[in-house]
Amino acid sequence: MIISKEGWKEIGFNLASLFIAFSLWEIFTRYMDSPYFPGVGRIWGAFFLLAKRGDVEGITLLQHIVASVIRILAGFGAATVMAIPLGLLMGLYPNIYKRTRAVLEPIRFIPPIAWIPVAIVLLVGFSRYAFLIWLGAFFPIFINTLVSVPRVNPIHVNVTRIFGARRWYIIRKIVIPSVAPDMASGMRIGLGIAWMCIVAAEMIGGEMMGVGRLILKYAELIRMAEIIVGMLLIGLIGFLMNEVFLRVEKRLFRWRWEVSLD
Amino acid sequence: MFDERKEKVKIQVSKSFDNLLVLDHLDFSVYENEFLVIVGPTGCGKTTLAHIIGGLYHPTEGQVTLKDEMVSPKRHNISFVFQEPSCIPWRTLWDDIKIGLEIKGANPRFIQTRVKEMIELVQLSGFENYYPYQISGGMKQRVAIARAYATDPDLLLMDEPFGHLDAQTRYLMQIEITRVWEQLKKTVLFVTNNIEEAVFLAERIIVLSRIPARVKGIVPVDLPRPRDNISPEFLKIRSQITQMCETAE
Repeated sequence: MIISKEGWKEIGFNLASLFIAFSLWEIFTRYMDSPYFPGVGRIWGAFFLLAKRGDVEGITLLQHIVASVIRILAGFGAATVMAIPLGLLMGLYPNIYKRTRAVLEPIRFIPPIAWIPVAIVLLVGFSRYAFLIWLGAFFPIFINTLVSVPRVNPIHVNVTRIFGARRWYIIRKIVIPSVAPDMASGMRIGLGIAWMCIVAAEMIGGEMMGVGRLILKYAELIRMAEIIVGMLLIGLIGFLMNEVFLRVEKRLFRWRWEVSLD
Repeated sequence: MFDERKEKVKIQVSKSFDNLLVLDHLDFSVYENEFLVIVGPTGCGKTTLAHIIGGLYHPTEGQVTLKDEMVSPKRHNISFVFQEPSCIPWRTLWDDIKIGLEIKGANPRFIQTRVKEMIELVQLSGFENYYPYQISGGMKQRVAIARAYATDPDLLLMDEPFGHLDAQTRYLMQIEITRVWEQLKKTVLFVTNNIEEAVFLAERIIVLSRIPARVKGIVPVDLPRPRDNISPEFLKIRSQITQMCETAE
Protein backbone atom coordinates (compact mmCIF):
# COMPACT_ATOMS: atom_id res chain seq x y z
CA MET A 1 0.00 0.00 0.00
CA ILE A 2 1.34 3.39 -0.97
CA ILE A 3 0.89 6.16 1.57
CA SER A 4 0.55 9.63 0.09
CA LYS A 5 2.10 12.78 1.49
CA GLU A 6 -1.29 13.69 2.96
CA GLY A 7 -1.43 10.20 4.47
CA TRP A 8 1.91 10.59 6.22
CA LYS A 9 0.85 13.98 7.53
CA GLU A 10 -2.32 12.42 8.93
CA ILE A 11 -0.36 9.63 10.60
CA GLY A 12 2.07 12.18 12.05
CA PHE A 13 -0.70 14.29 13.54
CA ASN A 14 -2.39 11.22 14.99
CA LEU A 15 0.84 10.12 16.65
CA ALA A 16 1.28 13.64 18.04
CA SER A 17 -2.31 13.59 19.38
CA LEU A 18 -1.60 10.25 21.06
CA PHE A 19 1.54 11.66 22.60
CA ILE A 20 -0.32 14.71 23.92
CA ALA A 21 -3.11 12.54 25.35
CA PHE A 22 -0.61 10.32 27.18
CA SER A 23 1.31 13.36 28.42
CA LEU A 24 -1.84 14.98 29.79
CA TRP A 25 -2.74 11.75 31.58
CA GLU A 26 0.79 11.53 32.99
CA ILE A 27 0.66 15.13 34.27
CA PHE A 28 -2.75 14.50 35.77
CA THR A 29 -1.61 11.35 37.60
CA ARG A 30 1.52 13.06 38.96
CA TYR A 31 -0.63 15.90 40.21
CA MET A 32 -3.15 13.54 41.84
CA ASP A 33 -0.42 11.25 43.19
CA SER A 34 -2.87 8.48 44.10
CA PRO A 35 -2.93 4.69 43.57
CA TYR A 36 -6.30 5.14 41.79
CA PHE A 37 -4.62 7.07 39.00
CA PRO A 38 -1.64 5.03 37.77
CA GLY A 39 0.79 6.80 35.47
CA VAL A 40 1.72 5.71 31.96
CA GLY A 41 4.73 3.81 33.27
CA ARG A 42 2.66 1.73 35.66
CA ILE A 43 0.01 0.97 33.04
CA TRP A 44 2.75 -0.12 30.66
CA GLY A 45 4.21 -2.35 33.38
CA ALA A 46 0.83 -3.90 34.10
CA PHE A 47 0.42 -4.57 30.39
CA PHE A 48 3.72 -6.42 30.25
CA LEU A 49 3.01 -8.51 33.29
CA LEU A 50 -0.46 -9.42 32.04
CA ALA A 51 0.87 -10.31 28.63
CA LYS A 52 3.74 -12.41 29.92
CA ARG A 53 2.64 -13.98 33.16
CA GLY A 54 -1.09 -13.62 32.89
CA ASP A 55 -3.56 -12.39 35.45
CA VAL A 56 -4.20 -13.63 39.00
CA GLU A 57 -5.36 -16.94 37.53
CA GLY A 58 -2.51 -17.21 35.07
CA ILE A 59 -4.61 -16.39 32.00
CA THR A 60 -2.58 -14.32 29.55
CA LEU A 61 -3.76 -11.23 27.71
CA LEU A 62 -3.74 -13.07 24.41
CA GLN A 63 -6.09 -15.72 25.80
CA HIS A 64 -8.42 -12.99 27.05
CA ILE A 65 -8.36 -11.25 23.70
CA VAL A 66 -8.96 -14.41 21.67
CA ALA A 67 -11.89 -15.38 23.90
CA SER A 68 -13.54 -11.97 23.51
CA VAL A 69 -12.94 -11.72 19.78
CA ILE A 70 -14.51 -15.14 19.19
CA ARG A 71 -17.59 -14.18 21.23
CA ILE A 72 -17.93 -10.92 19.39
CA LEU A 73 -17.58 -12.52 15.98
CA ALA A 74 -20.18 -15.17 16.90
CA GLY A 75 -22.75 -12.66 18.16
CA PHE A 76 -22.02 -10.20 15.39
CA GLY A 77 -22.07 -12.94 12.76
CA ALA A 78 -25.43 -14.22 13.95
CA ALA A 79 -26.77 -10.66 13.97
CA THR A 80 -25.59 -10.06 10.40
CA VAL A 81 -26.97 -13.34 9.09
CA MET A 82 -30.39 -12.57 10.58
CA ALA A 83 -30.61 -8.80 10.20
CA ILE A 84 -29.76 -8.57 6.50
CA PRO A 85 -32.39 -10.98 5.12
CA LEU A 86 -34.98 -9.63 7.55
CA GLY A 87 -34.14 -6.02 6.68
CA LEU A 88 -34.36 -6.80 2.97
CA LEU A 89 -37.64 -8.65 3.38
CA MET A 90 -39.26 -5.84 5.36
CA GLY A 91 -37.79 -3.22 3.06
CA LEU A 92 -39.25 -4.95 0.02
CA TYR A 93 -42.59 -5.59 1.74
CA PRO A 94 -43.03 -2.50 3.91
CA ASN A 95 -46.40 -3.76 5.10
CA ILE A 96 -44.74 -6.49 7.14
CA TYR A 97 -42.72 -3.87 8.96
CA LYS A 98 -45.62 -1.43 9.33
CA ARG A 99 -47.82 -4.15 10.79
CA THR A 100 -45.23 -5.48 13.23
CA ARG A 101 -43.68 -2.19 14.28
CA ALA A 102 -45.38 -2.27 17.67
CA VAL A 103 -43.45 -5.45 18.43
CA LEU A 104 -40.12 -4.59 16.80
CA GLU A 105 -39.56 -0.98 17.72
CA PRO A 106 -39.84 -1.21 21.52
CA ILE A 107 -37.37 -4.10 21.54
CA ARG A 108 -34.88 -1.83 19.82
CA PHE A 109 -34.86 0.52 22.79
CA ILE A 110 -34.28 -2.10 25.48
CA PRO A 111 -30.57 -1.87 26.26
CA PRO A 112 -28.68 -5.18 26.04
CA ILE A 113 -27.77 -4.83 29.75
CA ALA A 114 -31.45 -4.96 30.63
CA TRP A 115 -31.58 -8.40 29.03
CA ILE A 116 -28.99 -9.83 31.41
CA PRO A 117 -31.45 -11.44 33.84
CA VAL A 118 -33.34 -13.02 30.96
CA ALA A 119 -30.09 -14.26 29.47
CA ILE A 120 -29.09 -15.80 32.78
CA VAL A 121 -32.38 -17.61 33.13
CA LEU A 122 -32.72 -18.74 29.54
CA LEU A 123 -29.21 -19.47 28.33
CA VAL A 124 -25.98 -20.99 29.44
CA GLY A 125 -22.30 -20.61 28.58
CA PHE A 126 -21.26 -19.34 25.20
CA SER A 127 -24.81 -18.64 24.02
CA ARG A 128 -25.22 -16.03 26.76
CA TYR A 129 -22.36 -13.96 25.42
CA ALA A 130 -23.45 -14.42 21.85
CA PHE A 131 -27.03 -13.46 22.70
CA LEU A 132 -26.13 -10.16 24.38
CA ILE A 133 -23.74 -9.19 21.61
CA TRP A 134 -26.30 -10.24 19.04
CA LEU A 135 -28.84 -7.92 20.67
CA GLY A 136 -26.47 -5.00 20.39
CA ALA A 137 -25.41 -5.63 16.80
CA PHE A 138 -28.74 -6.71 15.30
CA PHE A 139 -30.71 -3.48 15.16
CA PRO A 140 -28.18 -1.17 13.50
CA ILE A 141 -27.75 -3.70 10.69
CA PHE A 142 -31.46 -4.40 10.42
CA ILE A 143 -32.56 -0.76 10.45
CA ASN A 144 -29.85 0.36 8.04
CA THR A 145 -30.85 -2.32 5.54
CA LEU A 146 -34.54 -1.67 6.02
CA VAL A 147 -34.43 2.08 5.39
CA SER A 148 -32.03 1.72 2.49
CA VAL A 149 -34.34 -0.41 0.32
CA PRO A 150 -36.85 2.35 -0.51
CA ARG A 151 -33.93 4.58 -1.49
CA VAL A 152 -32.93 2.31 -4.38
CA ASN A 153 -32.89 4.50 -7.48
CA PRO A 154 -36.11 3.74 -9.42
CA ILE A 155 -34.27 4.45 -12.68
CA HIS A 156 -31.99 1.49 -12.03
CA VAL A 157 -35.01 -0.69 -11.36
CA ASN A 158 -36.68 0.54 -14.55
CA VAL A 159 -33.53 -0.16 -16.57
CA THR A 160 -34.01 -3.85 -15.75
CA ARG A 161 -37.82 -3.81 -15.83
CA ILE A 162 -37.92 -2.53 -19.39
CA PHE A 163 -35.90 -5.57 -20.45
CA GLY A 164 -38.50 -7.79 -18.77
CA ALA A 165 -36.50 -8.62 -15.64
CA ARG A 166 -38.25 -10.71 -13.02
CA ARG A 167 -38.57 -9.66 -9.41
CA TRP A 168 -35.85 -12.02 -8.25
CA TYR A 169 -33.38 -10.64 -10.79
CA ILE A 170 -34.15 -7.07 -9.69
CA ILE A 171 -33.61 -8.00 -6.05
CA ARG A 172 -30.31 -9.74 -6.72
CA LYS A 173 -28.81 -7.42 -9.30
CA ILE A 174 -30.21 -4.01 -8.38
CA VAL A 175 -31.62 -3.92 -4.85
CA ILE A 176 -28.85 -5.82 -3.06
CA PRO A 177 -25.93 -3.99 -4.69
CA SER A 178 -27.67 -0.63 -4.06
CA VAL A 179 -28.29 -1.46 -0.42
CA ALA A 180 -24.88 -3.09 0.17
CA PRO A 181 -23.03 0.10 1.22
CA ASP A 182 -25.72 0.88 3.80
CA MET A 183 -25.66 -2.73 5.02
CA ALA A 184 -21.91 -2.43 5.44
CA SER A 185 -22.11 0.80 7.42
CA GLY A 186 -24.83 -0.81 9.55
CA MET A 187 -22.46 -3.70 10.15
CA ARG A 188 -19.68 -1.34 11.11
CA ILE A 189 -21.96 0.40 13.63
CA GLY A 190 -23.15 -3.01 14.87
CA LEU A 191 -19.58 -4.15 15.38
CA GLY A 192 -18.89 -1.06 17.49
CA ILE A 193 -21.93 -1.75 19.65
CA ALA A 194 -20.90 -5.40 19.96
CA TRP A 195 -17.68 -4.24 21.60
CA MET A 196 -19.68 -2.05 23.92
CA CYS A 197 -21.70 -5.06 25.04
CA ILE A 198 -18.73 -7.31 25.73
CA VAL A 199 -18.14 -6.25 29.35
CA ALA A 200 -21.81 -6.65 30.19
CA ALA A 201 -21.87 -10.05 28.46
CA GLU A 202 -18.76 -11.31 30.22
CA MET A 203 -20.06 -10.11 33.56
CA ILE A 204 -22.55 -13.00 33.51
CA GLY A 205 -20.70 -15.58 31.44
CA GLY A 206 -19.27 -17.41 34.43
CA GLU A 207 -16.01 -17.97 32.57
CA MET A 208 -12.77 -16.42 33.72
CA MET A 209 -11.60 -15.51 30.23
CA GLY A 210 -12.30 -12.42 28.15
CA VAL A 211 -11.16 -8.82 28.15
CA GLY A 212 -14.37 -7.71 29.85
CA ARG A 213 -13.87 -10.36 32.51
CA LEU A 214 -10.31 -9.15 33.02
CA ILE A 215 -11.59 -5.67 33.85
CA LEU A 216 -14.17 -7.05 36.27
CA LYS A 217 -11.58 -9.26 37.96
CA TYR A 218 -9.29 -6.34 38.70
CA ALA A 219 -12.22 -4.10 39.58
CA GLU A 220 -12.84 -6.40 42.53
CA LEU A 221 -9.21 -5.97 43.52
CA ILE A 222 -9.34 -2.22 42.87
CA ARG A 223 -6.25 -2.40 40.67
CA MET A 224 -6.59 0.54 38.31
CA ALA A 225 -3.53 -0.12 36.11
CA GLU A 226 -4.83 -3.54 34.98
CA ILE A 227 -8.33 -2.16 34.51
CA ILE A 228 -6.99 0.57 32.26
CA VAL A 229 -5.03 -2.00 30.25
CA GLY A 230 -8.29 -3.90 29.66
CA MET A 231 -10.13 -0.72 28.68
CA LEU A 232 -7.43 0.39 26.28
CA LEU A 233 -7.34 -3.08 24.72
CA ILE A 234 -11.06 -3.01 23.99
CA GLY A 235 -10.64 0.43 22.47
CA LEU A 236 -7.65 -0.61 20.41
CA ILE A 237 -9.06 -3.87 19.05
CA GLY A 238 -12.36 -2.18 18.24
CA PHE A 239 -10.47 0.58 16.48
CA LEU A 240 -8.40 -1.87 14.43
CA MET A 241 -11.45 -3.91 13.42
CA ASN A 242 -13.21 -0.73 12.38
CA GLU A 243 -10.22 0.39 10.31
CA VAL A 244 -10.06 -2.95 8.51
CA PHE A 245 -13.80 -2.78 7.88
CA LEU A 246 -13.53 0.75 6.50
CA ARG A 247 -10.73 -0.26 4.14
CA VAL A 248 -12.77 -3.18 2.81
CA GLU A 249 -15.81 -0.93 2.42
CA LYS A 250 -13.87 1.70 0.50
CA ARG A 251 -12.51 -0.93 -1.83
CA LEU A 252 -15.80 -2.73 -2.44
CA PHE A 253 -17.89 0.38 -2.88
CA ARG A 254 -15.39 2.51 -4.75
CA TRP A 255 -18.18 3.47 -7.13
CA ARG A 256 -19.93 5.22 -4.30
CA TRP A 257 -17.01 7.07 -2.81
CA GLU A 258 -15.39 8.52 -5.88
CA VAL A 259 -16.59 11.85 -7.15
CA SER A 260 -18.22 11.74 -10.56
CA LEU A 261 -16.48 13.58 -13.38
CA ASP A 262 -19.43 15.63 -14.61
CA MET B 1 -47.35 8.17 -47.96
CA PHE B 2 -47.45 7.03 -44.37
CA ASP B 3 -50.74 5.25 -44.86
CA GLU B 4 -48.94 2.54 -46.76
CA ARG B 5 -46.63 1.83 -43.83
CA LYS B 6 -47.40 -0.80 -41.28
CA GLU B 7 -48.66 0.46 -37.95
CA LYS B 8 -46.49 -1.15 -35.34
CA VAL B 9 -47.46 0.55 -32.11
CA LYS B 10 -50.97 1.82 -31.50
CA ILE B 11 -51.46 4.27 -28.67
CA GLN B 12 -54.92 5.14 -27.38
CA VAL B 13 -54.57 6.31 -23.81
CA SER B 14 -55.64 8.70 -21.07
CA LYS B 15 -53.85 9.03 -17.78
CA SER B 16 -54.66 10.86 -14.59
CA PHE B 17 -52.91 11.00 -11.26
CA ASP B 18 -55.65 11.34 -8.63
CA ASN B 19 -57.73 14.19 -10.03
CA LEU B 20 -55.06 15.60 -12.30
CA LEU B 21 -55.66 14.69 -15.93
CA VAL B 22 -52.24 14.40 -17.59
CA LEU B 23 -52.89 12.70 -20.90
CA ASP B 24 -56.21 13.42 -22.56
CA HIS B 25 -57.29 10.79 -25.09
CA LEU B 26 -54.08 10.56 -27.03
CA ASP B 27 -54.51 8.54 -30.18
CA PHE B 28 -51.69 7.92 -32.64
CA SER B 29 -49.51 5.17 -34.08
CA VAL B 30 -45.86 4.49 -34.67
CA TYR B 31 -44.95 2.85 -37.96
CA GLU B 32 -42.50 0.04 -38.52
CA ASN B 33 -38.89 1.34 -38.52
CA GLU B 34 -40.04 4.90 -38.11
CA PHE B 35 -38.22 7.65 -36.24
CA LEU B 36 -41.13 9.38 -34.53
CA VAL B 37 -40.56 12.39 -32.33
CA ILE B 38 -43.01 13.63 -29.73
CA VAL B 39 -42.51 17.28 -28.92
CA GLY B 40 -44.27 19.17 -26.18
CA PRO B 41 -43.67 21.74 -23.47
CA THR B 42 -41.98 20.80 -20.20
CA GLY B 43 -44.33 19.17 -17.75
CA CYS B 44 -46.94 18.19 -20.33
CA GLY B 45 -46.75 14.50 -19.48
CA LYS B 46 -44.30 13.36 -22.17
CA THR B 47 -42.29 11.27 -19.74
CA THR B 48 -45.45 9.68 -18.37
CA LEU B 49 -46.50 8.91 -21.93
CA ALA B 50 -43.15 7.30 -22.75
CA HIS B 51 -43.36 5.15 -19.62
CA ILE B 52 -46.89 4.06 -20.52
CA ILE B 53 -45.88 3.18 -24.07
CA GLY B 54 -43.02 1.09 -22.66
CA GLY B 55 -45.41 -0.71 -20.33
CA LEU B 56 -43.72 0.64 -17.19
CA TYR B 57 -46.87 2.55 -16.11
CA HIS B 58 -50.46 1.62 -16.77
CA PRO B 59 -52.84 4.04 -18.48
CA THR B 60 -55.98 5.08 -16.61
CA GLU B 61 -57.98 4.48 -19.74
CA GLY B 62 -57.27 2.84 -23.08
CA GLN B 63 -54.29 0.78 -24.07
CA VAL B 64 -51.04 0.54 -25.98
CA THR B 65 -50.55 -2.33 -28.37
CA LEU B 66 -47.32 -3.48 -29.95
CA LYS B 67 -47.74 -5.84 -32.91
CA ASP B 68 -51.45 -6.14 -31.98
CA GLU B 69 -50.71 -7.31 -28.44
CA MET B 70 -51.02 -5.39 -25.18
CA VAL B 71 -47.62 -3.90 -24.52
CA SER B 72 -45.55 -5.58 -21.82
CA PRO B 73 -41.80 -5.54 -21.21
CA LYS B 74 -41.97 -9.23 -20.31
CA ARG B 75 -43.60 -10.15 -23.61
CA HIS B 76 -42.08 -7.60 -25.99
CA ASN B 77 -38.57 -6.59 -26.78
CA ILE B 78 -38.51 -2.94 -25.71
CA SER B 79 -35.66 -0.62 -24.83
CA PHE B 80 -35.73 2.71 -23.06
CA VAL B 81 -33.19 5.50 -22.81
CA PHE B 82 -34.09 7.46 -19.70
CA GLN B 83 -33.96 11.18 -19.19
CA GLU B 84 -31.93 10.88 -15.99
CA PRO B 85 -28.47 9.35 -15.97
CA SER B 86 -29.19 5.63 -15.81
CA CYS B 87 -25.83 3.87 -15.78
CA ILE B 88 -25.63 1.23 -13.06
CA PRO B 89 -22.90 2.63 -10.78
CA TRP B 90 -21.41 -0.72 -9.76
CA ARG B 91 -21.17 -2.10 -13.28
CA THR B 92 -18.43 -1.43 -15.78
CA LEU B 93 -19.50 -0.06 -19.17
CA TRP B 94 -19.19 -3.55 -20.60
CA ASP B 95 -21.37 -5.14 -17.92
CA ASP B 96 -23.83 -2.27 -18.12
CA ILE B 97 -24.31 -2.57 -21.88
CA LYS B 98 -24.88 -6.32 -21.64
CA ILE B 99 -27.55 -6.11 -18.92
CA GLY B 100 -30.50 -6.40 -21.33
CA LEU B 101 -29.00 -9.42 -23.06
CA GLU B 102 -28.23 -10.93 -19.66
CA ILE B 103 -31.85 -10.53 -18.56
CA LYS B 104 -33.17 -11.97 -21.80
CA GLY B 105 -30.89 -14.98 -21.38
CA ALA B 106 -28.78 -14.59 -24.51
CA ASN B 107 -25.90 -17.04 -24.77
CA PRO B 108 -22.55 -15.73 -23.51
CA ARG B 109 -20.78 -15.97 -26.86
CA PHE B 110 -23.46 -13.91 -28.54
CA ILE B 111 -23.32 -11.37 -25.71
CA GLN B 112 -19.56 -11.11 -26.20
CA THR B 113 -19.77 -10.23 -29.89
CA ARG B 114 -22.89 -8.10 -29.61
CA VAL B 115 -21.59 -5.91 -26.78
CA LYS B 116 -18.34 -5.40 -28.67
CA GLU B 117 -20.30 -4.28 -31.73
CA MET B 118 -22.37 -1.87 -29.69
CA ILE B 119 -19.32 -0.37 -28.00
CA GLU B 120 -17.79 0.25 -31.42
CA LEU B 121 -21.06 1.69 -32.68
CA VAL B 122 -21.18 4.37 -29.98
CA GLN B 123 -17.39 4.82 -30.13
CA LEU B 124 -16.54 3.80 -26.60
CA SER B 125 -13.82 1.27 -27.44
CA GLY B 126 -11.11 1.25 -24.80
CA PHE B 127 -13.50 2.24 -22.02
CA GLU B 128 -14.99 -1.23 -21.47
CA ASN B 129 -13.68 -1.57 -17.93
CA TYR B 130 -14.49 1.94 -16.77
CA TYR B 131 -17.14 2.65 -14.16
CA PRO B 132 -19.75 5.39 -14.67
CA TYR B 133 -18.06 7.68 -12.15
CA GLN B 134 -14.98 7.67 -14.32
CA ILE B 135 -16.63 8.92 -17.53
CA SER B 136 -18.36 12.10 -18.71
CA GLY B 137 -22.09 12.76 -18.97
CA GLY B 138 -22.07 12.43 -22.77
CA MET B 139 -20.34 9.06 -22.53
CA LYS B 140 -22.88 7.86 -19.97
CA GLN B 141 -25.70 8.70 -22.37
CA ARG B 142 -23.87 6.79 -25.10
CA VAL B 143 -23.68 3.79 -22.77
CA ALA B 144 -27.44 4.06 -22.24
CA ILE B 145 -27.96 4.17 -26.00
CA ALA B 146 -25.66 1.19 -26.64
CA ARG B 147 -27.45 -0.75 -23.92
CA ALA B 148 -30.79 0.07 -25.50
CA TYR B 149 -29.71 -1.01 -29.00
CA ALA B 150 -27.90 -4.14 -27.80
CA THR B 151 -31.10 -6.16 -27.38
CA ASP B 152 -32.20 -5.33 -30.95
CA PRO B 153 -35.52 -3.92 -29.69
CA ASP B 154 -38.84 -3.94 -31.53
CA LEU B 155 -39.45 -0.52 -30.04
CA LEU B 156 -36.85 1.92 -28.77
CA LEU B 157 -38.11 4.68 -26.51
CA MET B 158 -35.96 7.71 -25.83
CA ASP B 159 -37.15 10.16 -23.23
CA GLU B 160 -35.26 13.45 -23.63
CA PRO B 161 -32.02 11.52 -23.59
CA PHE B 162 -29.90 14.59 -24.23
CA GLY B 163 -31.71 16.94 -21.85
CA HIS B 164 -28.85 17.03 -19.37
CA LEU B 165 -26.11 17.60 -21.90
CA ASP B 166 -24.51 20.87 -22.97
CA ALA B 167 -25.45 22.29 -26.37
CA GLN B 168 -22.31 21.09 -28.14
CA THR B 169 -22.43 17.52 -26.82
CA ARG B 170 -26.12 17.48 -27.52
CA TYR B 171 -25.53 18.38 -31.16
CA LEU B 172 -22.90 15.67 -31.54
CA MET B 173 -25.21 13.13 -29.93
CA GLN B 174 -28.00 14.08 -32.33
CA ILE B 175 -25.73 13.42 -35.28
CA GLU B 176 -24.65 10.17 -33.67
CA ILE B 177 -28.19 8.98 -32.99
CA THR B 178 -29.15 9.68 -36.61
CA ARG B 179 -26.12 7.74 -37.81
CA VAL B 180 -26.96 4.79 -35.55
CA TRP B 181 -30.60 4.83 -36.61
CA GLU B 182 -29.72 4.87 -40.30
CA GLN B 183 -27.42 1.91 -39.70
CA LEU B 184 -29.81 -0.21 -37.65
CA LYS B 185 -33.28 1.04 -38.72
CA LYS B 186 -35.21 0.41 -35.56
CA THR B 187 -38.64 1.74 -34.61
CA VAL B 188 -37.77 4.74 -32.48
CA LEU B 189 -40.03 6.94 -30.42
CA PHE B 190 -38.11 9.97 -29.24
CA VAL B 191 -39.48 12.47 -26.74
CA THR B 192 -38.17 16.03 -26.46
CA ASN B 193 -39.12 19.58 -25.55
CA ASN B 194 -36.68 20.97 -28.07
CA ILE B 195 -38.28 21.80 -31.42
CA GLU B 196 -35.00 22.06 -33.28
CA GLU B 197 -33.97 18.64 -32.02
CA ALA B 198 -37.32 17.26 -33.16
CA VAL B 199 -36.96 18.63 -36.70
CA PHE B 200 -33.35 17.46 -36.88
CA LEU B 201 -34.20 13.87 -35.98
CA ALA B 202 -37.77 13.04 -36.93
CA GLU B 203 -39.44 11.43 -39.86
CA ARG B 204 -42.68 12.52 -38.29
CA ILE B 205 -43.38 14.85 -35.38
CA ILE B 206 -46.31 14.67 -33.01
CA VAL B 207 -46.92 18.00 -31.30
CA LEU B 208 -48.50 17.86 -27.85
CA SER B 209 -50.32 20.64 -26.02
CA ARG B 210 -49.80 21.84 -22.50
CA ILE B 211 -51.14 19.68 -19.70
CA PRO B 212 -53.48 17.84 -20.08
CA ALA B 213 -51.64 16.73 -23.21
CA ARG B 214 -53.60 16.39 -26.43
CA VAL B 215 -52.28 15.85 -29.94
CA LYS B 216 -52.13 19.30 -31.51
CA GLY B 217 -50.89 18.15 -34.85
CA ILE B 218 -48.75 15.69 -36.75
CA VAL B 219 -46.01 17.04 -39.01
CA PRO B 220 -44.04 14.90 -41.46
CA VAL B 221 -40.42 15.95 -41.98
CA ASP B 222 -39.24 14.86 -45.38
CA LEU B 223 -35.75 16.33 -45.48
CA PRO B 224 -32.58 14.57 -46.58
CA ARG B 225 -30.06 13.51 -43.90
CA PRO B 226 -27.78 14.70 -42.44
CA ARG B 227 -30.03 17.69 -42.00
CA ASP B 228 -28.91 21.25 -42.32
CA ASN B 229 -30.46 23.15 -39.45
CA ILE B 230 -30.19 26.54 -41.19
CA SER B 231 -31.63 25.52 -44.55
CA PRO B 232 -34.90 27.32 -45.48
CA GLU B 233 -36.90 24.06 -45.50
CA PHE B 234 -35.65 23.17 -42.04
CA LEU B 235 -36.49 26.61 -40.68
CA LYS B 236 -39.91 26.52 -42.29
CA ILE B 237 -40.88 23.30 -40.51
CA ARG B 238 -39.39 24.61 -37.32
CA SER B 239 -41.45 27.81 -37.38
CA GLN B 240 -44.55 25.83 -38.34
CA ILE B 241 -44.18 23.74 -35.19
CA THR B 242 -43.31 26.76 -33.07
CA GLN B 243 -46.56 28.36 -34.22
CA MET B 244 -48.51 25.23 -33.41
CA CYS B 245 -47.06 25.30 -29.93
CA GLU B 246 -47.95 28.96 -29.45
CA THR B 247 -51.57 28.85 -30.58
CA ALA B 248 -54.13 28.62 -27.84
CA GLU B 249 -56.45 25.64 -27.59
